[in-house]
Amino acid sequence: MQPVMDDEEDGARADASGEIRLPATLEASGPLPERAEIVIIGGGVVGLSIAYHLAKRGLEDVVVIERGYLAEGASGRNGGGVRQQWSTEINIRLMQESVELCRRFAVDLGVNVWFRQGGYLFLARNAAEVARLEKNIVLQNRCGVATRMLSPSAAQDIVPELDLTGIVGASYNPTDGILFPWPFLWGYARQAAAMGARIFTQTPVGGLERQSGGGYLVHTPRGAIRARRVINATGAWSPKLAKLVGVDVPTWPIRHEICSSEPLKPFLRPMVSELASGLYCSQSMRGEIVGGVSLPGHASTYAMGSTLEFLATYARRLVRLMPILGDVKILRQWAGPYDQSPDGNPILGAAPEHPDFFLACGFVGHGFMMAPIVGKLYAEWLTGGEPHEIFARYTLARFRDGSGAQQEKEDFNIG
Amino acid sequence: MARRLPGHDAVRGEAVEVRIADTSVRAYAEESIAAAALASGTRVLSRSLKYHRPRTFFCFEGHCSGCLVRIGGVPNLRACQAPCAGGTEVKGQNAFPSAEIDLLGAVDFLFSRGMDHHTLMTGSSMLNKLANKVVRQLSGLGKLPDHAATELPEVHRIDVDVAVIGGGPAGLAAATTTATAGRTTVLVDDQLRPGGSLRTDPRTGRTEAEARWSAATSAGVLVLARSTAIGFFPEDDGGVLAVSAPDRLYRVYAKQWIWATGGYVVNLPFPDNDRPGVIAARAVGRLLVDHGILAGDRVCIVEVPGVVADVTALAAALTTAGAEVTRLPLADVVGTRGRSWTTAVDTRDGKVDCDLVAVAGTPAPASEGPRQQGCRVVLDAVAGGFRVVVDDHGRTTAPNVWACGDVTGYLGPAAAAADGARIGANVVREGAP
Amino acid sequence: MAGKIVLCRCEDMTLADLEHSVSRGYRDIEEVKRYTGFGTGPCQGKECLAVVALQLARITGQPAAAIPPFTSRPPLAPTPLKVLARDPGAHVFADEGGTARTTRTQGDEVDD
Repeated sequence: MQPVMDDEEDGARADASGEIRLPATLEASGPLPERAEIVIIGGGVVGLSIAYHLAKRGLEDVVVIERGYLAEGASGRNGGGVRQQWSTEINIRLMQESVELCRRFAVDLGVNVWFRQGGYLFLARNAAEVARLEKNIVLQNRCGVATRMLSPSAAQDIVPELDLTGIVGASYNPTDGILFPWPFLWGYARQAAAMGARIFTQTPVGGLERQSGGGYLVHTPRGAIRARRVINATGAWSPKLAKLVGVDVPTWPIRHEICSSEPLKPFLRPMVSELASGLYCSQSMRGEIVGGVSLPGHASTYAMGSTLEFLATYARRLVRLMPILGDVKILRQWAGPYDQSPDGNPILGAAPEHPDFFLACGFVGHGFMMAPIVGKLYAEWLTGGEPHEIFARYTLARFRDGSGAQQEKEDFNIG
Repeated sequence: MARRLPGHDAVRGEAVEVRIADTSVRAYAEESIAAAALASGTRVLSRSLKYHRPRTFFCFEGHCSGCLVRIGGVPNLRACQAPCAGGTEVKGQNAFPSAEIDLLGAVDFLFSRGMDHHTLMTGSSMLNKLANKVVRQLSGLGKLPDHAATELPEVHRIDVDVAVIGGGPAGLAAATTTATAGRTTVLVDDQLRPGGSLRTDPRTGRTEAEARWSAATSAGVLVLARSTAIGFFPEDDGGVLAVSAPDRLYRVYAKQWIWATGGYVVNLPFPDNDRPGVIAARAVGRLLVDHGILAGDRVCIVEVPGVVADVTALAAALTTAGAEVTRLPLADVVGTRGRSWTTAVDTRDGKVDCDLVAVAGTPAPASEGPRQQGCRVVLDAVAGGFRVVVDDHGRTTAPNVWACGDVTGYLGPAAAAADGARIGANVVREGAP
Repeated sequence: MAGKIVLCRCEDMTLADLEHSVSRGYRDIEEVKRYTGFGTGPCQGKECLAVVALQLARITGQPAAAIPPFTSRPPLAPTPLKVLARDPGAHVFADEGGTARTTRTQGDEVDD
C-alpha cells in the first residue's frame, strides 16, 4: 500500500472559524472493532512504527490501542537524539539503518521531523574515558561509521562555547543527529491510519485473556477486541501488561529528568555529551537547548515528577562546560522513563509459551532512535519474512536459559 | 499616541536616560523599560516565531511574551519587568533589519490562510533539506548572551509558619493578617513593586497599593519583591518552594502555604488580535494609575460582560485624562487595521478609528503553582479559566495549602482584598501553628 | 482574506490551527498542545491556556469542567541557569570531588 501524500486538505483551513473537516487519524471515542489481525498495545513510537510498516506491507485489520493521549509515554518525553556511536556491532548496524530511515522520513511519510545531522560530540575528562571512546571508535569505523577522536581544541572548533578546563579528548561522528520526537508519532499514525490501521487513544487495557483456540481477548472500557496476535509495545510499562497473561518481563522503569531553555538563535551544531556526569544537551529546531544529566540513585518509579536537584545539577554542570550560557533561562523541565533490562539489551520476539504475544521493550533510553528500524524489521517478520537476528538474540527466554550471559553487553547506554 | 500626564502622582524616581534601539529615551528609575518605551513612542519590539508578525507589549505584567528584548547583552528579557537604570542598552530581537521593517514579514502575507509547518515542503528530498536549513536559521528569539555571567547569585534559606505567594490585594491582606496574629510570614511577589491589581485600578489607585504594602511590612511580613516562585518541589528536602530573584535564589520552607497569585490578563479571540496597539485593558489601567502614562488618545475598549464594572471605571478615568473612549462588546469586533500600530477596529457596523485597543477579558486564574502542589483546579468560563478549587474556608484539596483572591475565580481588587483577609484569619485559626 | 485569530501569541497558533488539530483527532489538551505548539513558548500557557481550553470545550461540545489543564511544570517563570546552579541541592560528581549522595526524599516505587 502506498502512503498518502495529499497536502491540499491541509491547505484547506479557514481562520475566523470556518468548519474544517479532515480525516481523523486518532479515534478517542466510539467502540473498538470486534476483532483484529494484530492488536498493538501501546501507541508510542515503537507501536506506531510497527503499525505503519505492517499497514504498508498490506496487512489489514491492524489496531493500535494507546491508554492515554498520544505521546504520553517516553516517546513524547525524550531529547530526540539519534546516534551511531555504540559499543556493539549490532547496535551500530541497526542505528545506521535507522539514521537512513530518519533522513527519509519527512519525504516518505509527509511530515516534517526536522532531522538534523549535526553530529554527536562525547567529551572525556580522563584517560579511562578516552580509552573507552577509542575502543568503540575502532568498531564503529569497521562498520563504516566515520567517528574520530578529537583533541580538546579540535572539539572547541566545533563548539566554540566550550570551556576546555579538564577536557582531555573527545569523539565526534558528524552523521549522528537530532530529531523532533512528536512528529514521528503523527507521521506514523497518519500514514498507518490512511492505509487502514485504526488507532485508539484514551483506551486503557484492563484485561488480557488467552483464548483456547489461539489469540487473545483484549478488554478495554470501549469494548473487548479479539486479536489473533498481540504486540506489547508499552515500553516501560511492559511488565504490567505482560503480567495480565502471566508473562514475567524483568524490566523496570528509571526516571530520567530533562529540561529545555528559551529559544535562542542557532549556534550549537552537535549534541554535546560529557561522560563524567552523563550531561547531554543539544539545540532543537525551535532553538531551545534541550538536555539532561545523570542523577545518582535515579528514582525507579513511574511517577514522572520534577526535582530541584535535577535543575541545580544540570545547571551547575552546563554552566561549567559552557560559561556563556549563565544568563540563558530554563523554560520547562519534565521527565520520562528509561526502560531498563537486566543486561542492558532489549527484549524482542514472542514470549516463551506465547507464540502470538510479542515484546518490544528494554531499550534503556534509546528506544526512540531504534524504533524506525525495529518497526520495519518486526513488520517484515510478522508478514511472512525471515526474522532478523535481533529476534533470535534478544529473546525473553535468555534470562531463563542463561543464554543472555553470552551476549555482548552494550556499554554505551548513556544520556 | 502615548504620552505622560503632567502632575500625575506616578511611580517615577529620578530621571535617567536609557537607549532603546539606538535611540536615547527619557525615563525614570522606578518605572519599567516597557513603560518608558511606550511613553516615548516605541512601537514594535520584535517579530513572532512562525509568521514574523510584529510583536510588542501586551500585558505589562511579565507573563506574556510580547515585550521580550535584549538588555545589556542578555537575550529574551521582559521589558515590563526591567527597571530603568541609567545607561541601560535595550535592543529588539528576531527581526532584520529592524523590528519595524522586517524582511520576513512577508511570510505572514504569503501564508495568509495559515501554514501547516508539519507538512510544509515534504514533497522532495532536496526541498525538504532546504526547508530544514531555512527553518533552523529562522528559529529562536534572542541570540546567545554577549558575556558569561560574572555575578553569582546568593542563596538564602527561609523557614516560616506561613508562605504567601502573590503580593496583590488578596496576598497582602492574607499576609498582614497572619503576621499580625504572630505567625512568621513571608510574601513573595514577582512585580517590580507589590500591589498587584491595586496598581491597575483607578478606584483603588497607587496610594492603596503603597498603603497595603506598607501595612504588611509594618506587621512583620518579610516581603520579597521582584521575586518569582519558580516551583514547589515535593521530593526535595521534604518539600521546598524555590524562589528566584534577580541576584539570588531562596529556598522557602513553610507549614502553611497560601496561593494568592491572582489572574493573568488574557487576549480575546477576534481577527488580528495580536496587532501592536492591542494591549490588555488592565495594562492600560496600570500605565495610567501607576505610571501617569496615557497610552492612547482614542481608545477602543473591547470587553466581555464579566468585567463590566472594571471597564466602566477605566473608561471614566481615561476620559478624565483626556482620551476619547469607545466601548465594544467582543462579538461586534471583526478585525483590526494598521501596520506598525493599530489605527482602527473593524466592527459589524463599520470602522472605528483609534490609536489603542484595550482588551478587557476576564483574567485567567494563575493556578500553575497550586497545580504543582497538588491542588485540584477546574475550568470555569465565569471564573476566567482554571480556578483553584477551595472550600468555604479557603482550603484547597492539598493538605496545608490554601488559596484566596482571583486565583480561585475572578473577584476584582476590592473583593480579593476581603477574601485574602478572611483566608488569612482561617489559616491562623485552623492551620497548624 | 480573514484575519488570523491568534490564540497563542508566543507560537502564532490560531483558532484555525485548533480546529485543524481537533479535526485530525488530536483533541486531548495535551495532544492539542503538542500538535499546535500552543503553550510551549516563553509564556508556557499563561496567556493562552484558559482561552484555548475554553475554545476546545466549545469546538468539541464538552462542558468546560471536562477539560483538564496540561501538566504544570517548573520553573513557573524562565529562570537563568546561573541562579539554578547555585542551589545547594546540586549533585557534585566524582570528578569535582563529590559523592554519591542525593538530597531527594526518595520514596518506594510508585505504581501509576
